Order: sequence, then C-alpha cells, then structure tokens
Amino acid sequence: MGAPPLVVSGLSKRFGAIHAVDGVSFHVDAAETYGLLGPNGAGKTTTISMIAGLLSPDAGEVMVAGRRMTTTTTDAKALIGYVPQDVAIYPDLSARENLVFFARLYGMPAREAGRRTDEVLETIGLADRARDRTKHYSGGMKRRLNIGIGLLNRPALLILDEPTVGVDPQSRNAILESVDQLSTEGMAVLYTTHYMEEAERLCDRIGIIDHGKLIAEGSRQELVGVVGERDRVTLSATGDLGRATDALRSQPWIKQADASDGSVVLVVDGARAHLPAILQEAAATGVGVRSVEVSEPDLEAVFLHLTGRALRD
Amino acid sequence: MRAAFLIATKDLKERLRDRTAILIAVVVPLVLAFIFSAILGGATGDTKAIPLGYVDEDGGAVAQAFVQQVLGEVEKAGIVSLHSEASVDTATGLVKRGKLYALIVIPPNFTQAVQSGAPAAMQVIGNVDSPVSAAIARSIVGGYVAELNRVRIAVATAAGGDPSALTPEELNTLASKAASAQAAVVVQDVSSQAKQLDAKSFYAAGMAVFFVFFSVQFGVTSLLEERNDGTLARLLVAPIGRTAVLAGKLLTSFLVGIISMGVLVVATSLLFGAKWGNPAGVAILIVAAVLAATGITAVIAGFARDAEQAGNAQTVVSVVLGLLGGTFFPVSQAPGIVSTLTFIAPQAWFLRGLGDLRGGDLSAVTLPALAMLAFAVVAGAVGVFRLRRLAEI
Amino acid sequence: MAKVLVIVTTNLRRTYRVRSNFFLSFVFPLLLILILGITFGSSSVPRVGVVYSGSGPLGRALVAELGRVGGMTTVSVGDASSLRLQVERATLDAGVIVPSDFDATVAAGRTATVTFIAWPGRYAHQLAENVNGAVARENAVLGAAQFAVTEGAATSFSGGVAAANAVSGHVAAITVSESTAGTAMFSRLITEFDQGAWTQLDLFVFFMALMAGALGLMQSRRLGISRRMLATPTSAWTVVAGEVLSRLVIAVVQAIVIVFGSALLFGVTWGQPAGVAAVILVYGLVSAAAGILLGSLVRNEQQAAGIALLLGLGLAALGGSMVPAQVFPQTMQTIAHVTPHAWANDAFLQLVGNGVGLGAILPQLGILGAYAVVMVGLAVWRLRRVLTA
Repeated sequence: MGAPPLVVSGLSKRFGAIHAVDGVSFHVDAAETYGLLGPNGAGKTTTISMIAGLLSPDAGEVMVAGRRMTTTTTDAKALIGYVPQDVAIYPDLSARENLVFFARLYGMPAREAGRRTDEVLETIGLADRARDRTKHYSGGMKRRLNIGIGLLNRPALLILDEPTVGVDPQSRNAILESVDQLSTEGMAVLYTTHYMEEAERLCDRIGIIDHGKLIAEGSRQELVGVVGERDRVTLSATGDLGRATDALRSQPWIKQADASDGSVVLVVDGARAHLPAILQEAAATGVGVRSVEVSEPDLEAVFLHLTGRALRD
Repeated sequence: MRAAFLIATKDLKERLRDRTAILIAVVVPLVLAFIFSAILGGATGDTKAIPLGYVDEDGGAVAQAFVQQVLGEVEKAGIVSLHSEASVDTATGLVKRGKLYALIVIPPNFTQAVQSGAPAAMQVIGNVDSPVSAAIARSIVGGYVAELNRVRIAVATAAGGDPSALTPEELNTLASKAASAQAAVVVQDVSSQAKQLDAKSFYAAGMAVFFVFFSVQFGVTSLLEERNDGTLARLLVAPIGRTAVLAGKLLTSFLVGIISMGVLVVATSLLFGAKWGNPAGVAILIVAAVLAATGITAVIAGFARDAEQAGNAQTVVSVVLGLLGGTFFPVSQAPGIVSTLTFIAPQAWFLRGLGDLRGGDLSAVTLPALAMLAFAVVAGAVGVFRLRRLAEI
Repeated sequence: MAKVLVIVTTNLRRTYRVRSNFFLSFVFPLLLILILGITFGSSSVPRVGVVYSGSGPLGRALVAELGRVGGMTTVSVGDASSLRLQVERATLDAGVIVPSDFDATVAAGRTATVTFIAWPGRYAHQLAENVNGAVARENAVLGAAQFAVTEGAATSFSGGVAAANAVSGHVAAITVSESTAGTAMFSRLITEFDQGAWTQLDLFVFFMALMAGALGLMQSRRLGISRRMLATPTSAWTVVAGEVLSRLVIAVVQAIVIVFGSALLFGVTWGQPAGVAAVILVYGLVSAAAGILLGSLVRNEQQAAGIALLLGLGLAALGGSMVPAQVFPQTMQTIAHVTPHAWANDAFLQLVGNGVGLGAILPQLGILGAYAVVMVGLAVWRLRRVLTA
C-alpha cells in the first residue's frame, strides 16, 4: 500500500490577527470517510481550501497520496476531487458540457472525457436532462451536478465542503447516500459539516474543530466515550425553574444543570437510576414537570463537554 | 496551453449563448456605423442633389453658354439639380420657403456687358438656413466670373492699358486668345490622395475600435464573475496551474476582440462599402488594438473588487479613451498639448494607423502598431500581476 | 403620493450605496464636458496651413492674398510633408503648398501649380472655394502679365505684372452680389461647443436613465421586490411612478452637473433658464420612463443591458446627438424625429439659437411629454401583466 490519501500536519493560517487555522493535523485512510465537524466560522473551509490547494498555509503541510499539495502543483491536484459549498457550475452550459469541460481540464482526451461524463451523468441521475442548460435546473439537480464534477477524475480523495447546506431533506438524503456509496467503493472522503447527525451517520472518524484547533478526534464511539456514561435529561416544566435548577445542581451525580425557557437541561451520571430522584427534587421545589426526555450521549454532548458551548449557537 | 485553450473555448461557448456579448461585440457597433453611414448619406444612396434655381434675364449667348456649359457640368456631376425659373420674384419666393436652396440670377444685358467690357453683376441668393448650398452656388458663379475678369484684364494689359484704342474685331481676337491662354497659376486639389479614411470608413473603424474595448471584457472580467460564482475555485483545484487559468481568460478576451473586429470589417465592407485598406495592414492593426484593449481590461479587472465595479470602470475608461481617441468625432484643431493627450488613447493610434495605411505602404502601420503593443505590454503586465492575486481565494 | 416618495427615497438610497454609481452620476458627466472642451473648445475658425519656402515677391503676394481671405486663418508651416501630416491628422483643416520656384515659373511664362489638400471634414468645400478664389485673383493679374508678354505688349514679365496691376484697378469688373432670403432660423451664432454640450446632454441623460432604469427594475423584478410591492396595497401606477421619479431625480442631477459644469468651465451658452429647466425636466421624464418601460419588457439583466446600449447609442446617433442633425440628408432629418433626442435637440436649438423663452418651445415640450405619458402607460400595463401573471 502507498501513502494514505491525505496527511495533514501542523496546518496553520492567519488572516490578520485572526488565527483561522491553528496547527491542525489529521489523516484520512483509503476507503475512510473523515468528517470535520465544527460550528460556522470554526476554520473548516479555510482548512479545506488549503487541502485543495486554493490557499497556501502559513505553516504545516498537506500530502495527498504522498504528494505535497501547494497552490501551484498539478500532480497532487490531479488526485483530488473538490466539491465547493455553493453550487459552482456554468449556467449557460448544459450538464454534459460542464462535465466534459472539467474532465478535459483533468487531462482526459476528448473521447475519454465523453465516456467518463456519461458514467458520471448516470451516477448522479442526470442522464435524461444532460443537454439542458443548467440554469433551468432545480436546486437539487444543480447540487447533484456540483458533486458530479468532483467525481470526474476518480479522485483518491474527495473533498466535500458542507454539501448539504440549504438543501431540502430529500436531496440531502440522496447526497448522503451517494457519499456512503462512494466510500464503500474505496474512495477516501473528507467531509465538512456543522450537522452532527450527518457526521454521526456517515463518518468513520470525526475531527472536531473549534476556533481553528482540532480539539478531539476519533470514531463516534471513542468521542462519546470522552463524555463518559453521562446522559442528558431535559425536563419540560412550569414554575420557578431557577430554584429547581439550583436545587438539582447540589446533587453530586448531576454534573451540569441549566434552565432555559420552559425547560431544565441536566447532564447526569446514570440517568435511568436517578430519574425518580430528579422528579422528586423537582416536585419538592414546586415545579410541575410536563415531560421528561432522556438522551444518550451524542456528538452534541461531546462538543458541549469540550467547549462548554452548544454546536449550533 | 491546452488548458488555456479549453477555458477559452468554454468561455466563447458561454458568450455565444448569452446574447449580450453578440449585441455589444457586433450588433451595436454595426447599427451605429450604419446610422452614421445613413446620416452621412452613403448607405442609402440618399445624397440629394442641391435644388439650385437660376433666372436668365439676359437670354444672350454668354448667359446660355453659362447655363449649358458651367451649370450643366455641375448638374451632370450630381451636385445640383437645376430649376429654370421665369422671374426673380417667384424664384426668390421659392428660396424663402426653402424649395430652392439657392438661386443664381443672370442680369439683363449681361451678354452685351461681357462683350463690351462694361461692368456687370451676377446675383446669388441663398436660403438663410442653407449656408453650404449658398456657398456652393457662390463658388460656381465666382469661378466663372473670375475667368471672365481674367480675360478682361489680360486683354486690357495686352492692349497697353487702353482697349478702346482697338477695333472690336481686334478686341475679339485678343479676347479669344486670352481665353484660351494657359493659366499662370492653377490649384491642384490632392485631398483625395491624402492618407485618411473617408467618412464611412472612419465611422466603421471608429465604432469597431470603440466597442472592442467593451467586448474584450467578456474574457478577463469573467474571471471576477467566476470567482463570485465559485467556479474559479473549481478551475484552480484542477491540475492545470493558475497561469493556464489566467492565460485562458486573456485568450478569451483576445479572441472575442478579434472575432468582433473581424466580423465588423467584413460586414461594414459588404453592407455599406467601408474601405479599410490593405488587409495585411488592417490585420496587424486589429491584432495590436485588441491586445491593447485586453491589456487595459486586465488592469481594470485587476484592481476591481467585483465584476460590477469592473464593468462600470471599464465603461468610463472606454468612453473617455474612445472620445479622446477620436472614435466619435475627430479631435481636431486642439491645442498642442491636447492633441498630444489624444495619444494616450490606443484608439487614436488605431485610427491613425488606418489613415496612414491608406495610400501608404504596409510599413506605415509600424509606429501605430508598436504604440498599441506598448500599451498592451505595460497594461497587460500590471494587469496580470494584479490578477494573479485572484488565484488565491 | 407618500408611497411614491418612499419608493423614490429607497431607490435613491439603493443606487448611491454603490460608490461607482456616484462616479457615474457626477464625475462621468464632468469628464464628458472636459473632452467636449478639448474637441470643440478651441476656435471654430478653420485653420489653413501654408507652405512657401521661396522668397519671391509674387509668391509672397499669393500667401498674403490667402491671408486676407475671410472665414479662415492661415498658419505658416515649414515643409510640405509636415503640412500633409498635420492635415491628415486633422490638426489643420486644410493646407496650401506654394512651390518655392513660384516666381521663376510664372516669370518664365509657364504654369505654376499650387497644391491644395483638405481634411474631409465640414470645412473642406468652403476652404477649397476660398483658396480657389484667392488663386483666381492672383491668376488674373499674373495670367494677364504673361499674356501681355506673349502678345508683345510688355517687354519683361515684371513689366507685364506692373501693367496688369495698373489695369486691373480701372477695368470694369464683373462682380457677384450675394444676398439671402427667408427668415433666419437662428438669430444668434451657435458655436459648435454649445451644440456639442446640449447634444451630449441628451445622449448622456437618456443613455444613463435607460441603462440604470432598465437594470434597476429588472433587478427588483428578479429579486421579487416588485411582486412584493404589488402584494401590499399599492397599485402598479404607484410602483411605476415611484420608479420613474427616482430615475428622474438622478437624470436631473446629471443634467444640472452638465449644464453648470459646461457653463462655468467653458462658458457654454444654454439660453433662458426657465426654458432649459423645462426641457431638462420633460426630457428627463421621457428618459426615465423609457428606462422603466425597457425594464418591464426585458426578461433578464443581460438583455436589459444589451438593449439599453443599443437603443441608448443608436437613438442618440439617429436623433442628432452624435453628428448634428443639420448635416443629415432630408429624409434622415425626418426619420430623426422618431427619437426624443431630436425634439430635445430642437428645443435647445431654439433656446440657444433664437434666444426664445419657454413659450416658444411648448410644441417640442408637448411632444416630449406625450412620449413620457405613452411610455409610462405602457410600462404600467406591461408591469401589471408580468408581475401578476
């Protein structure tokens, strides 16, 4: 086996006083889907831009299948497929013309470019509309073509930058399924998102990025393990929630307690065992509980644990 | 280079579908050149002869000779249409109402006066609002009268200052000798050999070079659009190198410019007979002009924040340079410093080159072509240097 | 009315948030005036270059005779090739080359050839006539002298010249008397610069209003703002009135910049203020209405820009805003009056040329007003159809 499809080491980028990316290192193995999870503005797109050779890093390096990626290199770029966050296609050209154009930029001779275009059109399900100008396409069709262009060169590494932002649930599902499919076919995929459900569903390994730093990395199981056996309990309640929260916080098995309008959120060691005690305590402070929700630890909880903030502010 | 060609081909395909490019590169300049042509009377064959009236109150031999020979020649040349009027009053009425632009009156006893050496006056009455037509009538009569006077003075001088000492026969012989004597001074009008464009060709060339500064935008400025649309990122992650992207865009500008100018040269030549001159020289000038335009558009795009700003700046620069370069009206008679200023406009060099090519040989285009290439190199270098920053997003 | 004002202020705010629009409204017209100043600003008396490198009295007499011709000024030029070049570059309107051996040639009884070359501009005919006339006058004397020598009446050529000069003083001459008929269309002298200034004002104001109005409305339509406006209790009339008025404000501002700029910087005459204001207002309204009408007709912004460019420049050329309509052939002058430009140019011509006031240009204003009403009406009808379809 050769070098892994992607090795990122010590990547840093500043914009003026802002450390957009600060010493990020990770790698992606063949047939692995790696998710870069973080809130908006965490440095995901800057990281992706440096990996795709669109931006030169201030420090650190990017190796794609053993070849160093720079803004001017061509051999490393030949190995990656890049799907930008916003749809980037030519509206006055048809899907076929868009695909053939980019295929030829990847060095394919005309005939091969045509063949590969047909395959990709089949994959993204646009074969029957291939000759229409893309400006007449629906949003979902444009999205599919946007991804299709990234697949043309059968990349060793496919980079998807938030491919589901602003996409309707149906198209979103289709996108996630096709990414899954590509990964099982052996392609390495680097996927950024701020939707933790997507990361949980798709990714073999996840890196959590915040303020330009990679603060945790591992499989979902490994990451959730960081939080321990703590569950999250949400009480929907009426009454003096502040008083109830203070009372609950004093219990040693309650690690965190927050009141927000109409509900109390608790992080609890072994929630099931302590549930009766929680309800009792709440009733004692005169609070009327209308519903209780217990959730097992997830990436949201991991992020909350690591940063003290919710993923989606 | 292959990638640059692919990008240029893709751009041209896009431009062909978006009709604005065709409008600006071909249709608008063609329509304007046509309108100018029509205004100047060439395209529609609408050069109307000037309605010129004359009243012969003399009826003698000299008057008839004037009408038949002098006026007849001018009518044959298509400059005037002659209308014989019976009375000065009616004819003057027609001039007043603008039915006749000018009127020539041959006074009574004109023949006798001419033959006897007595004073006489021909009359020209022009419509007050047709000074040009009046001037033409005056010029016709003036030339004729000058000739009569010349013979008179010649006869008088040859007669020792006193023609009355001679018999009428002797006078007549002397007069006909004097009339056929060679002139001492003649004027040779060589205006038609001047190395300059006729009005129709001038406007065709002016419009073509004016609009090429707009149409080259479709290449380089689309780099800004592509950055905005995200497709530039796609081009940059492709394994082609950013020089190829930039080269592709410059190539698009160049090709759009060449196609636009080429179509206009052919169309204006065929449709309204514009004469561009020696094809090789015209081709050299067009290539140089398109390169200069591409360079300038590259500078503008290089300093612009987005495509809209670049478009606005390009409009202002193109209009200012176009007016300075004399594409709409020749910047004539300007004081020295200003006429020097016109040479900051590549358009001025282009038109000057075409003018020099007319009647000159191919080498006449060397200086204008080099001047435009200098623009292309300087502006292009600055532009490319600035545009390279776009290659990082 | 309050709603119309809200639309106007919002539109103006939208426009001037973009800095380059500021430039296009204020700086660009000033630049145009400057170029006009360069193009037309210098004396409008045509200049004729004269080359005479000899020193004979006859040659000098011819040069002096050329200098006495009215309606042109002569400039001494060093050599023939530089003269040719200056005429070809249009820095001189015409040139005359008197051969350096002029005296010797004429004295030897041969014909001297004076070369004339003109730039094919508006003065070419007149200058050729002027030069021909001056040469004919010299030829009469010199030809007579030559004739006297041939006929043996004079022993030397110079004697012949002296005799001919003496004779020409008292030989009864045939003359040409000139007069004009009709009432002058213009009682004042209009300089080319004056005419250049108002024709450019018409071109520029219409072009900018057409382009910006069409693009602006198309953008509002594409962004769904126009639909949204109609969804509020606002009529299509109000929407169109608001759009037209906002463009009118900008058009008037641009016109004011041009009028005051050209008057202060270059002393351009504009005529009675009330009349000028009325033309600017009504013509601005036509321009604004045309922009909004175009904006309601097109399908996208590219189309709007392309058609605005075509119509903005094409109508200006046709209407006499690029080449003055007076030089058009008759039929073209008639066709020209399809354009609002021609009517506005006519109105300015009256104001400046005849020094008349507002009252005298009411016909032109009426026609321009009719244009505006028809276009606004069409825009309302069309906008209602596009937006509610």
